[in-house]
Amino acid sequence: MSDDSLNPHTAEALDDLAGEYVLGTLDDEARRSLERRLPHEPALQEAITRWESRLTPYASMVEPLPPPPELWARIEHTVSEHPMSAEAAPCPSRGSGLWQGLWQSLALWRGVSMASLAVVLGLALWLFSGVADTRYLVVLATPQHTQAGWVIQAASQRDIELIPLEEFRVPAGKTLEFWTKADDWSGPVSLGLVDANGPRRLRLKNLPPLEKNQLFELTLEESGGSPLNRPTGPIQFIGRAVSL
Amino acid sequence: MSGLDARNARVTDHHHDHGRLLVACAEGDQGALQTLYQLEGACLLGVVQRIVHDRAVAEDIIHDAFVNIWTRSHTFDAGRGSGRTWMFSVARHLALNHVRRQGREVTVNDDHAERLEAERSLDAGTAMEDTFDWQGRGDLDRCLSALEPERRNCLFHAYVDGYSHSEIAERLDRPLGTVKAWIKRSLHTLRECLS
Repeated sequence: MSDDSLNPHTAEALDDLAGEYVLGTLDDEARRSLERRLPHEPALQEAITRWESRLTPYASMVEPLPPPPELWARIEHTVSEHPMSAEAAPCPSRGSGLWQGLWQSLALWRGVSMASLAVVLGLALWLFSGVADTRYLVVLATPQHTQAGWVIQAASQRDIELIPLEEFRVPAGKTLEFWTKADDWSGPVSLGLVDANGPRRLRLKNLPPLEKNQLFELTLEESGGSPLNRPTGPIQFIGRAVSL
Repeated sequence: MSGLDARNARVTDHHHDHGRLLVACAEGDQGALQTLYQLEGACLLGVVQRIVHDRAVAEDIIHDAFVNIWTRSHTFDAGRGSGRTWMFSVARHLALNHVRRQGREVTVNDDHAERLEAERSLDAGTAMEDTFDWQGRGDLDRCLSALEPERRNCLFHAYVDGYSHSEIAERLDRPLGTVKAWIKRSLHTLRECLS
């Protein structure tokens, strides 16, 4: 197959798509689909950056609005609990304050819009309340984008099922790794690599029984999984267990 | 140095600073993030509020935007665009994601529909005039001036107001297909003009 970027028609279509994305005229589905393609399409990233650079000066048509003083305090609070992403962290040692901070951080969780999450959680509770043996439920959402991607249902404190809500495209050379941590554990524990395209059942062997509020997350790791016994890649989805 | 030169120098420095401050953020310097907030917080809140029309939501988005700027600062590449552009795109796309997601659940609500109706009747008589004071702001001026005012209005209703195709169509009282084609052709015109 020829390189798409060399085909002028494809390059033009890509540039149209980038322009409409930057203008904001793509619908929700098209935006999501583009944002999923973005990490592995440098030509699309460049086209978007070009349109952003051309149009940003025109954002100055909008009158500035002075933010209330408490807004910075809120940002500062979140950021101080929220160290740099694992990718940026220069080789943190195991159990370092940096990493523990990330896990213990309510901030990640707070970043998810409570309103939209409540809708998903409500719907999930309603759906799963009909499943007699579901005892715990976790909705895993993106750290910042309020989008739910996975649900975990647990029939017991040992048996869990991880179910994708929509397709997640794993970039080439990467893999999703599943992690959990209860409030009083010193660090996260890997539950293995995850195939993005189907549900997966797991038995929590050698781990304490699942508890309320236990944290689960999926991180994007290099193929084969994290080389260390903690996540090293960025968090893709995160959520806490709710007892039914 | 003349007054204008001094101002230009300041603008250049000011824009250069954003990139340098983002690099400092990537190194864990929270003071750099605060400086970026002092420089752009009000502009970004204005841009986001214009799109979402809800002050509490707009402030939540600015919170998320600065947390994103902080955690993703290491992905900023000064070779690919200015730091200021990068920050604006982070905040604007969070706002756009919010309104597009809402749009999927509820289309235009009654208040919004009434407002659009009122504005539409205003716009109908001024179709050939600019709704936006766009001149003298960027390098795209020359190319934008080649577009019909109504088509320029479409671009800015999208970019500044965050309107969807159908909101623009309602607002300008034009068929949806026409608005979609105008926007696509305007983008082509701009691209050709720039190349």
